[in-house]
Amino acid sequence: SDSQVTQIHVEGMTCQSCVTTIESKIKDMSGVKRITVSLSEKEADIVYDPNVTNPVTLRNEIEDMGFAASLEH
Amino acid sequence: MASQVHEFYMAMTCEGCANAAKRVLQKQGDAVTDIQTDVGNKKVTVTSRLTSNELLEILKKTGKEVNYIGVKM
Repeated sequence: SDSQVTQIHVEGMTCQSCVTTIESKIKDMSGVKRITVSLSEKEADIVYDPNVTNPVTLRNEIEDMGFAASLEH
Repeated sequence: MASQVHEFYMAMTCEGCANAAKRVLQKQGDAVTDIQTDVGNKKVTVTSRLTSNELLEILKKTGKEVNYIGVKM
């Protein structure tokens, strides 16, 4: 299956536990192949299957967790 | 239903986690009238007309472990 990468800007993370919480919750979402969250960059890089999910759905999931997530940089 | 003050245990380790809890609660608009977070004691105190179960589900969106302690007032 093909995959694409999206970079989501995430405001509100202040420690490593916020990073691991987001990574563990998002990687379980359908269509997500890999996620790396950088605290210093305030960014989540997500590899996903575009036939299953999309950047907006992924952004909304991070927003639902209580972080400010945006697709623009 | 009159609003009550509910107390929850939440595995918060930093301000970022506390802010995430506040943000998911604030998304409920005027259904939640007050939010207090205490990272040291891992407690979230919420004044709301929502039921404790509804509030528990909302807080669980943060991806953190959350338990209901009880009604404070």
